[in-house]
Amino acid sequence: MRRELVAWLAFIAIAALLPLALASDPYLMLLANVMLMFMALALSWDVVARTGQLSLAHGAFFGLGAYTVAIGHKYAALPPLAGLAVAGVVGAIVAVALGGVTLRLRGIYFAIATLAFGEVLRTVALQVPDVTGGTIGISMPPLFGGDRVASYYLAGAIFLLALALSLGVRYTRAHYAVTAIRTNEAVAAVMGVPVVLTKVLTFVTAAVIATLAGAFYMPFITHTDPHDAFEVSRSVAALAFPIFGGIYTSVGPVIGTVVLRSLEEYLRVTPPWKEGYQVVYGAVIVLAVLFMPRGLVGLASRMRARLSRRPEARIPILGSGR
Amino acid sequence: MEALPQTLFFGVLRSGLYALTALGLAISLGVIGVVNFAHGEFVMLGAYIGFWVYLLLSGPLDLGPAVSPLVIALGIPLSAGALFVLGRGVFRFTLRPLLSRPELDQMLLTFGMAILLQNLVSIVLSPQAQDASLGWRFELLPLPGGAISVTYARISAFAVSMALVAATYVLLARTRLGKQMRAVAQNRLGAMVVGIPVDQVYEVAFGLSLALAAAAGVTLVFQTQVSPFLGLSTILKAFSIVVLAGLGNLFGVVWASLLLGVSEQVISQYVPDGSALRDGLFFLLIFVVLLARPGGLGRAR
Repeated sequence: MRRELVAWLAFIAIAALLPLALASDPYLMLLANVMLMFMALALSWDVVARTGQLSLAHGAFFGLGAYTVAIGHKYAALPPLAGLAVAGVVGAIVAVALGGVTLRLRGIYFAIATLAFGEVLRTVALQVPDVTGGTIGISMPPLFGGDRVASYYLAGAIFLLALALSLGVRYTRAHYAVTAIRTNEAVAAVMGVPVVLTKVLTFVTAAVIATLAGAFYMPFITHTDPHDAFEVSRSVAALAFPIFGGIYTSVGPVIGTVVLRSLEEYLRVTPPWKEGYQVVYGAVIVLAVLFMPRGLVGLASRMRARLSRRPEARIPILGSGR
Repeated sequence: MEALPQTLFFGVLRSGLYALTALGLAISLGVIGVVNFAHGEFVMLGAYIGFWVYLLLSGPLDLGPAVSPLVIALGIPLSAGALFVLGRGVFRFTLRPLLSRPELDQMLLTFGMAILLQNLVSIVLSPQAQDASLGWRFELLPLPGGAISVTYARISAFAVSMALVAATYVLLARTRLGKQMRAVAQNRLGAMVVGIPVDQVYEVAFGLSLALAAAAGVTLVFQTQVSPFLGLSTILKAFSIVVLAGLGNLFGVVWASLLLGVSEQVISQYVPDGSALRDGLFFLLIFVVLLARPGGLGRAR
């Protein structure tokens, strides 16, 4: 635990100093902002996965945050930071409603409902143009007057929140609760773990972080519309990153974000991939689930075990086993 | 504004495609216990096979008015057959090894597969939606009375869907294979004990599920554009029907489809600005059913 925390402090220190090196390059600064935001998405998705639940609504909450800030600014002249706070509250309320109904039931209901949720938000955004601006969407002036260093630290704050959640769940009693639930819900309940409450709490916290990420992104790029805000690709990214890097860890989602998001930057402008770059995410998910269940982190620990010629560290694949 | 009989009739027609798609999904969910998030993408693949059959028949062969019936007569067996084989392969090499792993892994696999397929098709073919200008899409069926008018395409798509659904029910209810599937669905361990080759039954069930998806895809060619991204809206409605019917209740799928199809049609006709409500109806249904009767509306079989 100590070693991991020291490593994270070093990472945070380097990340905090990064603008010194990048501030002169607007493109790299933009990428740094977006990276932090996606790290927050990936970390928070992973926390939900630790309870064995598949959330496909991360993109939807992201869009919800974007629209909350945009609508707040358009109708109440709400400044971006105030909008961010309001978005957090809105995200929490919606997540309690969605999670409260579906997390009492088998995991598949939750997964299905979260997938449908994004489509419904998109439909609503399209069908009430008086409020949402319809297909055209809503624009607002840039965050901090377009100062990408300032916005970098705001994104960093959201990232720290996600990291705190991820490490907090790992190094407190919550770790045993979520692991027990993931392994076998019935047994967890018998042992006295408040199953539904734990699942709802992790989902709501994670959803709030996703909402905040969207609330940051909207004024950062100054525009939102139904197509962009509720893009399924963002939900896909939020889960492809942790799966590739290493699910159920804090390092994994961060490494996964850096590697895959950089690759995406390249593919997006390279034919024949372009818009179809997501094929890579699909392939990564399928291959990782089949052949690399703990992602890069799992691979690394297996390699290290082999190099030090110690007996291979057994990585338990937790499951009920049918 | 349409008259009520016309609205109800269109609602019923709409439910045919829903039933066919949802039945395939319900089989993989009920028999194998796997949520196939890629089911909509397999509908999409089936639709492309149907579309290619159309291109072949109308382009190089130039069969004129015979194209429409031939797309059904050739397209459905071809695409269903292809996806049956594909389904068995997909099950054997990807899903089978994951059956002993947590549900999360299985869902991630099929979701990843969905993303993979839709983007692969959009890269290899084209992200653009394509249209088959089949004669039957516009020709009206001469009906006496004049209260109802309908195109050949809609009525034949409905008839084919219902015939396939009925055939699947006969398979499930009357044949040895169907009996085995229902046994495995009820109790995997019990089925094993009495000597049913469970893995083999799973594999065939998954193939069947994909074959139904493919057939649904071909009927889609008659009704709308074919696009790599048609899977998502398809599967969301299918999910809501399966939830409505109750997981594992294969025979409730038809009634649930009828409920969704007719209410969508009625809402879009009689509720002012109802298109938002119509497109969101499936989610409302999921939400209300899960809140009130998580086991589904029908009695569990």
